[in-house]
Amino acid sequence: MGGTLKDRIVVTNDTKFLAVVREFIARLVLQSRLSRDDENKIILAVDEAVTNIIEHGYDDGVEGSIEIEVETDEAHFKVMIRDTGRVFNPESIPTPDLTDHVKLGKKKGLGIFLMRQIMDEVRYRFKDGVKNELTLVKYVR
Amino acid sequence: MPAFEIRTEPLQNGITLITVRGFLDAHTYEQFEKAFDTVIEAGTYKIVVDLSALDYISSAGAGVFISALDKLRDNDGNVVLMKPTVNVREVFDLLGLSQIFTFKNTREEAVRALQ
Repeated sequence: MGGTLKDRIVVTNDTKFLAVVREFIARLVLQSRLSRDDENKIILAVDEAVTNIIEHGYDDGVEGSIEIEVETDEAHFKVMIRDTGRVFNPESIPTPDLTDHVKLGKKKGLGIFLMRQIMDEVRYRFKDGVKNELTLVKYVR
Repeated sequence: MPAFEIRTEPLQNGITLITVRGFLDAHTYEQFEKAFDTVIEAGTYKIVVDLSALDYISSAGAGVFISALDKLRDNDGNVVLMKPTVNVREVFDLLGLSQIFTFKNTREEAVRALQ
């Protein structure tokens, strides 16, 4: 592959579209220079990011859109996830204590931990005053 | 993509087998949780979950196991995860849950671990 490969998909805030997002990411990982060993992990990181937006970004019954854009080249696999929902900065969420998590039987709150575990960069910005933009980057090794 | 499917069947000695196929994410975990809770509410605290046909799990799916674990162990039970696919096992590893849950490769080993 030479140069940069780019693609994007837009879905609405419904969990039924998570499978569509995963298939989109799987296709691009396979076209990228990333190892096949990274495929499941990258899919998972993006799934967790999109799930957070679906579950927390919008009030119940309010339809919103989520844009997922991928840019990949010889050195990076970069995913930008944009939404117009509630301002939510994952960088503000502390890393959970997993022992406590299990002891308390807490079933939520592990998505951001997974994103950080998997990706080399997890960055958030409030873009143009109207959008949340989360950038996930995996380096090609 | 394989269809999402859950099947529950009794094994010997008060053990229940739950087989889940397809994918366990934020879209499907509630159905799985319901099946899990139905087994527990019926008084069964020893559960084997066959993960051999589960292609994908996210933290929403793993959360079902986390939330049930204490209740099962408090009642002298446990959940044994049978034959997870590579992708599913990887997520348990990433979450640091592989030391907490019991994994077995066959139904016989899983049943033995619960007796």
